[in-house]
Amino acid sequence: MSSGNDASTQAQKRAAAQGRAQGLDIGWTVFSYLLAGMAAYGAIGWLIGRAVHVSLLFPIGMLVGLAISLGFIIYRYGRVGPGGRPPGGEREMTGDR
Amino acid sequence: MTGDVGVLASGGCHIFSGCGFPAPGLQDFEWKPLFSIGSFDFTKPMLLAILAALVVIVFFWVAFRSPKLVPRGMQNLGELAILAVRDQILRPSLGRKGDSYLPFLVSLFFFIYIMNVMELIPLLQFPVTSRIGFVWPLVFIVYFLYLYLGVKNQGAWGYLRNMIPPGVPAPIYIILVPVELLRFFVFQPFTLGVRLFGNMFAGHLLLTIFTIATWYLLSLSVGLVYAAGSFALAIFVFLLETLVTLLQAFIFTTLTATYIASSVEPAH
Repeated sequence: MSSGNDASTQAQKRAAAQGRAQGLDIGWTVFSYLLAGMAAYGAIGWLIGRAVHVSLLFPIGMLVGLAISLGFIIYRYGRVGPGGRPPGGEREMTGDR
Repeated sequence: MTGDVGVLASGGCHIFSGCGFPAPGLQDFEWKPLFSIGSFDFTKPMLLAILAALVVIVFFWVAFRSPKLVPRGMQNLGELAILAVRDQILRPSLGRKGDSYLPFLVSLFFFIYIMNVMELIPLLQFPVTSRIGFVWPLVFIVYFLYLYLGVKNQGAWGYLRNMIPPGVPAPIYIILVPVELLRFFVFQPFTLGVRLFGNMFAGHLLLTIFTIATWYLLSLSVGLVYAAGSFALAIFVFLLETLVTLLQAFIFTTLTATYIASSVEPAH
């Protein structure tokens, strides 16, 4: 009986550690996406704005980038699939952990 | 420390003595060279980094120079350290298949932790990782391994293609390419390095501020009350930093493990 409880506690600890690692990974990936979206489309907006002499394209590009990043983050991480995990994009945790 | 803070704080610079608060700042992260070889200056953070590496090497060498089936003494501690990294950092991300990366992750974790914890050891009292120049080489090593394993396991084209999950419509795919490239090659390594550096930098600055303020406010006046408050905060920040030093080493190594995992096992 107690060995069953021990096994269950071990499994819970493993699941908690796995959740922590996945949470850290997702959290910092999301943060990087937000920065990358604004920087990428901000740069594109700035370049086009420089060519056509419309300086407003730089902040517009940043906002568009932010919107793209947010959309993708929601698409990739915002839905909960079977097992409580997002349905697309993340690694499937295979193997004996 | 090249600034005047240390000099002022160690002297009789107290409140109501006509002396302004010797506020700590960036100057507290600049060090006079201990010695110079030509144009190369050897400073205290370099000495501490070497010391941290030696501590890790000597500890694990002593613990496992003649390992016994039933561990005793230092081997007990060594095994405890390795199992902690294996069960809390490696296995949750990589599973049993990732055990071959255990030596790398153990070295990385303890090297970073010892460099961080030097902030709290009297006389040493400086976190090496609060100098960003010591963090970028670690990020470079992790990223090199990350890319190498990704290309080795998935091929260069497959690795790039796997950055964006399958099932995304083609026009969205094109829109996402600049975001994904910038995230992968710029912001992900940037956040990995800056988080460690920023936390240790801010922690050391806070600790310095409250320690110097305690000394500065110490006088036979109402300043004594302020000094007591500042001392209490210095103790609180010290305790907080004992946690932060460990946590930052844990986060850096955990993220390294998840990066390795994503290189070995592509996204589905």
